[in-house]
Amino acid sequence: MAANEDSRSSDRKSADDSDDLPIFNAENLQSNMKSIYYSRTFLSIIGGVVAGIWGFTGLTGFVFYFLIMAVASLGLAAKAKFSVHTYFDSWNRILVDGVLGGLMSFVLFWTFAYDIVHIF
Amino acid sequence: MGFGFALGVFGGLILAHAAYATIQYRGMLKIVEEEFSGPPMNVVVELLLGLALCMWAGLAAPTKFLSILPDSDENRIVSLPTNLDFMIFNHRGRVFPSSDAELKLKSKS
Repeated sequence: MAANEDSRSSDRKSADDSDDLPIFNAENLQSNMKSIYYSRTFLSIIGGVVAGIWGFTGLTGFVFYFLIMAVASLGLAAKAKFSVHTYFDSWNRILVDGVLGGLMSFVLFWTFAYDIVHIF
Repeated sequence: MGFGFALGVFGGLILAHAAYATIQYRGMLKIVEEEFSGPPMNVVVELLLGLALCMWAGLAAPTKFLSILPDSDENRIVSLPTNLDFMIFNHRGRVFPSSDAELKLKSKS
């Protein structure tokens, strides 16, 4: 009887463990995501300036942007010492988040630098 | 933090100089009446250098990543209570002859 009860409780416990959401320190996660957001915004602005000075037009500039974002993702992963699950809840936070968000600032600074250097 | 910020400022200055050099190059092209087909070599080198510096700065300057695991070394609370000297683990129970072994011995004899 007691053994039966024990096994049942252990069953329930293991079920709880598998159902349980993993516990994170939300404050630190938010701080990490903010850090990533700053990095990406800054790099998209710098990338826009470089693309503008270089004189990229059309599709080349966008390819350049996604190249920079790929390098930035690699750099962020290196900053997290490649143990992403210590600092984030999924790989997407490093690889994908904020890539399209920086595109608008990229285009803005791209056209800005291109105008200053090549047109005026 | 300070070092990364300084790198970023330096990279920005290099980019500004690259922009200035490109403007001058375009002015020169206008004089010799040639078409622009890409920036000169020194500008390309400056751009790559500035980009690398700014990328380093952009990755290093924001706050360091903090661990989100609740049982990692940084998040663990390891301080003991400060009033340990005032905790007493003696109580009056020890003056009673209450252990089971003694009772059994008594019943046998």
